[in-house]
Amino acid sequence: MILRQPVENIYLAASAVMDMFVSIDALDHIRFSSIKPDGWYIPEAREAMAVGRILYAGSYSAPDYEKILERGCALAVENTMIYHTPEVKEQLERLGIPVLVDYSSYESEPMGRTEWVKCYGLLTGREEEAEKIFEDQARKFETVKEAASDKEGERKTVAFFYFTANGGVNVRKSSDYLARMIEMAGGAYVFGGTREEESASSTMTLQMEEFYKTAREADYLIYNSTVDRELTSVKELVEKQELLTKFKAVQEGNVFCTRKNIYQSSMELGTIMDDLHKLLTGDWEEMRYIYRLFGGQSAE
Amino acid sequence: MKRSRCVCGFMILVLLLFAFFAANICAGSVRVPLRDVLEILLGKEREAVFRDIVTEIRFPRALSAGILGGALALSGYLLQILFDNPIAGPFTLGISSGARLSVALVMVVFLGNSAEPGFGVMIMAAFAGAMISMGFVILMSRFMDSASMLIVSGVMIGYICSAITDLVVAFADDADIVNLHNWSKGSFSGIGWSHVAVMFLTVSAAVLAVFFLSKPIGAYGLGEAYAQNLGLDVKKFRILLVLLSSALSACVTAFAGPVSFVGIAVPHMVKYLFRTARPAVMIPACFLGGGVFCLGCDLLARILFAPRELSISTVTAVLGAPVVILIMAGKKQKGDIR
Repeated sequence: MILRQPVENIYLAASAVMDMFVSIDALDHIRFSSIKPDGWYIPEAREAMAVGRILYAGSYSAPDYEKILERGCALAVENTMIYHTPEVKEQLERLGIPVLVDYSSYESEPMGRTEWVKCYGLLTGREEEAEKIFEDQARKFETVKEAASDKEGERKTVAFFYFTANGGVNVRKSSDYLARMIEMAGGAYVFGGTREEESASSTMTLQMEEFYKTAREADYLIYNSTVDRELTSVKELVEKQELLTKFKAVQEGNVFCTRKNIYQSSMELGTIMDDLHKLLTGDWEEMRYIYRLFGGQSAE
Repeated sequence: MKRSRCVCGFMILVLLLFAFFAANICAGSVRVPLRDVLEILLGKEREAVFRDIVTEIRFPRALSAGILGGALALSGYLLQILFDNPIAGPFTLGISSGARLSVALVMVVFLGNSAEPGFGVMIMAAFAGAMISMGFVILMSRFMDSASMLIVSGVMIGYICSAITDLVVAFADDADIVNLHNWSKGSFSGIGWSHVAVMFLTVSAAVLAVFFLSKPIGAYGLGEAYAQNLGLDVKKFRILLVLLSSALSACVTAFAGPVSFVGIAVPHMVKYLFRTARPAVMIPACFLGGGVFCLGCDLLARILFAPRELSISTVTAVLGAPVVILIMAGKKQKGDIR
C-alpha cells in the first residue's frame, strides 16, 4: 500500500502515539480515536474530542468500520494489541485502510522510543518539527546523564512494578526502556538480574516470592499506576500486599507512585528521566510524573 | 473388603495431602534449601527472606489451595447428587458466572471513580454475585419438579451472567478489562493469613453442615420418590443442598477467582478410588481429594514454567478432563452409565 504525504484522517489506536502528534503540531491529522475523551491524559486530545475535531470510533478490537470508512480514513495506527484480534487488522486492510503497528513501547532505549516521532513527522509532513523535538529530548537526556555520572558512590536500587488483579507482580524487563532510564538516571534497576521470559513483551509477571526476594532490600519502590490507579498513601499500597511492611523502602518511607499520564507522555521521556534522577537525589518536590507516598505502613 | 478399601483410600488421600502440602512449602520460583525449610518450620532462626517466603507466602497459599480445593470438590459432589448428572458442577448453576459478573461491576465502578476495590469488597462482591445466581436457581426450583430442568435453568442463568459481564466489559476502560481478565484466570496467589482464617471458618461451617446431611443425601441418591417415602421434604432438601453448594463455591470464587473443573472431576476420581457412593465416605473423601488435586495443580502452575505462573484453571482442566473421560469410558464399557 502506498501512503501519500501528508496522511490525513488517521484512526489512532495507540495511546502512546498521541503525544508525538501533539509535540509536532500534527493533531489535526488525527480524525478518529479508539480511546474515549476521559481516557486521554493529554489536554489537547481531550479538547479535540470535546469539540468534535477527533471522533471516538470504537476500541482497537471493535472499531466502527462504517464511521472510519465514511470519513475517508487514510491510515490506522495501532499498538501491538491488534495482534490479539488479527481479524480487525485484516478487515481494515480489506477496506483499503493501511495499518501501521506502533512498536515504540518495545524499544529498549528511551531515545529509540522518542525517535518514533520522526516516523509520524514523515507521515504528516512535519519532518523538521520532529527532528527538532527529538534533538530537544536528546539534550535533556544528555543533561541528566551527565548529572548522574557526576555522582559517585554506590547506586541506589529501584523497583518499578504493580500488582495484578490475580496476585502477581508485573515488572518491566531489564531490556525495557524504563529500566534503562532508571540506570541512566543514576539508579540500579533491581530486577536486572531476574530470570526473564523469552518473549517480545516488555514486561513480565513475577510470582510473589520472587518479587519479595528481589525487591525487599530495594532502596526505592515506584508503583506503576498506569493499569491500576494512582495511590494516595503507603497504607493503600500495603493493603494490596501485607508483606510490603517488611520492605526496606516502606520502612524508610521511600515509596513513590507514578502519575496516570506517564505512559501517554511519550515525548516527555527527558522530563521523566529527570524525575527519576530527582527521586534518586532526594529532590522530590520538583517531580512532575512521580510523587512520593506518605502515611502508615500497617495494612490494618 | 469394602471397609478395607475405604481405609486404604483415606490413607492414600491423607498421605498425598501431606506430600503435596510439603512439596508446595518446599518448592517455588525461589530456591530455598530443604534444610532451611525444615528449620523454619521447626521455629529456628534462619535468613529472614527465606523465613518470610516459607511462612508468609507458601504456607498460607498451600493452606488455601487445600481448603478451597476441598470446598470446590464438595460443591461439585453435592450438585452431581442433586441433579443426578455426572457433569454437574458450580459452573453449571451459573454460580461462578454470577460471581464474575459482580466482581466485574465492582472493578468497573470503583476504578472508574479512581477508588480501590479492596480485597474485602471483592470478596463480598463475589459472594453477592454467587448468592444472587443461587437465588434465581432457588426461585426456579419452586416451579420445577424435575432436576434436569433445574440444571437447564442454571445453565441459562450462567449464560445471562456471562452476557451481562461482556456488556459491562464493552463499556469499560482498557485498564479495567486487563484487571478483570487477570482476575478471571483464577489464582491462589496473593492469599495471606487473614484470608486463610476467613475461608477456614466459612468452609468448615459449610462442610460440617454437609456432613450432618449425609443420611438425607444417601436417601436422595436412591431416588426422589424413595427419599420422599422416607419422609424427606425433597424441595426443602434441594434448596439446602443448593445453598451449601453455592456457599462453598462462592467462597472459592471470592478468594481465588473462577477455578474450573475441580468440582466436576474430583468426585469422579474419588468414586473410582473408593468404589462406593455412601455419603458418609464420599463427603470427607471429596474434600480431601479436592485438596490433594488443587495442591498438586497449584504446584505445577507455580513451578512448571517459573518464573511465569500458569492459570490454575488451565492446569486443573488439562489434568482433570482426561481423567474424567477415562473414568466415564470405563464405566460405559461396564454398562454403569445410563
